[in-house]
Amino acid sequence: MNKAVESTEEAKAPSIEKPHETPEGWEPNILAFACHYCAFAAADLAGVMRLSYSPNVKIIRLPCTGKLDQIYVLRAFEKGIDGVFVAG
Amino acid sequence: MITGEQKPFEEIWNMVKDFKKVLVFGCNTCVAICHAGGGKEAEILASLLRMKASEEGIAIEINHNAVERHCEPEFFQPVMEDIRTYDLILSTACGVGVNLLSENIGDIPVFPAINTEFFGAVPRAGEFTELCAGCGNCILHLTGGICPIARCSKSLLNGPCGGTNNGSCEVSPDIKCAWVLIYDRMKKLNKLDLMKEINEAKDWSKAQGPRNFKVKVLEEIKK
Repeated sequence: MNKAVESTEEAKAPSIEKPHETPEGWEPNILAFACHYCAFAAADLAGVMRLSYSPNVKIIRLPCTGKLDQIYVLRAFEKGIDGVFVAG
Repeated sequence: MITGEQKPFEEIWNMVKDFKKVLVFGCNTCVAICHAGGGKEAEILASLLRMKASEEGIAIEINHNAVERHCEPEFFQPVMEDIRTYDLILSTACGVGVNLLSENIGDIPVFPAINTEFFGAVPRAGEFTELCAGCGNCILHLTGGICPIARCSKSLLNGPCGGTNNGSCEVSPDIKCAWVLIYDRMKKLNKLDLMKEINEAKDWSKAQGPRNFKVKVLEEIKK
C-alpha cells in the first residue's frame, strides 16, 4: 500500500476518544440489570451469605434480560450512570 | 411495505446541531417494521442526539414523539399544535411522510433521518427484499409471478442476458437471475410456450413521477 492511500485511510478512521483523567477517590456509578431467575437470585443468595458488594452498584431486577431494551441503557447513560452491567 | 435505513449518525447530527428545539418524529407503520424509524427508534435517536449535544456542550432541547402514519394527514393533525412549537422536525418516516408533513406544517423545516429505499417483502424477520418496482404496468401474468423489472438487474423484458451464471446474476452471486427463476416457474406451471412470445417495449410513461390517481367511486360519491 502506498503512503498516499495509507494517509487517506488514516484520515477516514474514526477519532479515538482521549482518556479522561480520573479524579482521586472517584467511584463509577454502575447500574446492574439482573434477571429475576438467575443473576438476581444469585445476588439474593450473596446477601443471605452476608457477602457485601460496593455501594456504587445499583441493581434493577428484570423478569428476564430479554426485557432489556436499548432505551433503558441509553437512559441510564443520559442520567449519569458510568457503566451498565447486564447479568442473566 | 416501504423500507428504509437510518442515515449515518454524523450526517443526522450535522443537520440538527444548529437548531434549538428539535422533535424526532417517528412513524409507527412501515419504517417501524424495518427498525429504522418507529417510535422506538425515534426515542433511541433522540437519546443519542441529547448525549451528543451534551458531549459537544451545545444546548438543544430534543424530544421525541410518534404517530401511526405520516403519509395521511389525519394521523399527524392531532399533534400538529404541539409539533409547531419546534424549530426542526427530524422525521424518521419515509420520504413520503417527510414530503407530506413539510407541505402541512408551514414554515418549520422537516428533515429526513432515514434513507428511504424500496417497497419490499419480508421473507424472514429482519430481512427485506425488493420484488416489485411499482412500474405502473404489470406483466406478472406473463412471467410466472416473478417481476423482471424489479428482480433482473437490467430490468430485461426478454431475458436472460449473457451474464446469467448458473442461476445467479453477473452483478452478484447473491442475486438470483430473474429470468432463470421465471423459466423454472413457467416450466412448473407448464406454460413454457408463453416464454417464446416477445414482450414488446414497455410503456415507461406510467413509471414516471409525479404519479397520482383518484378512486373513481369516491369521486362519484363526492359529486
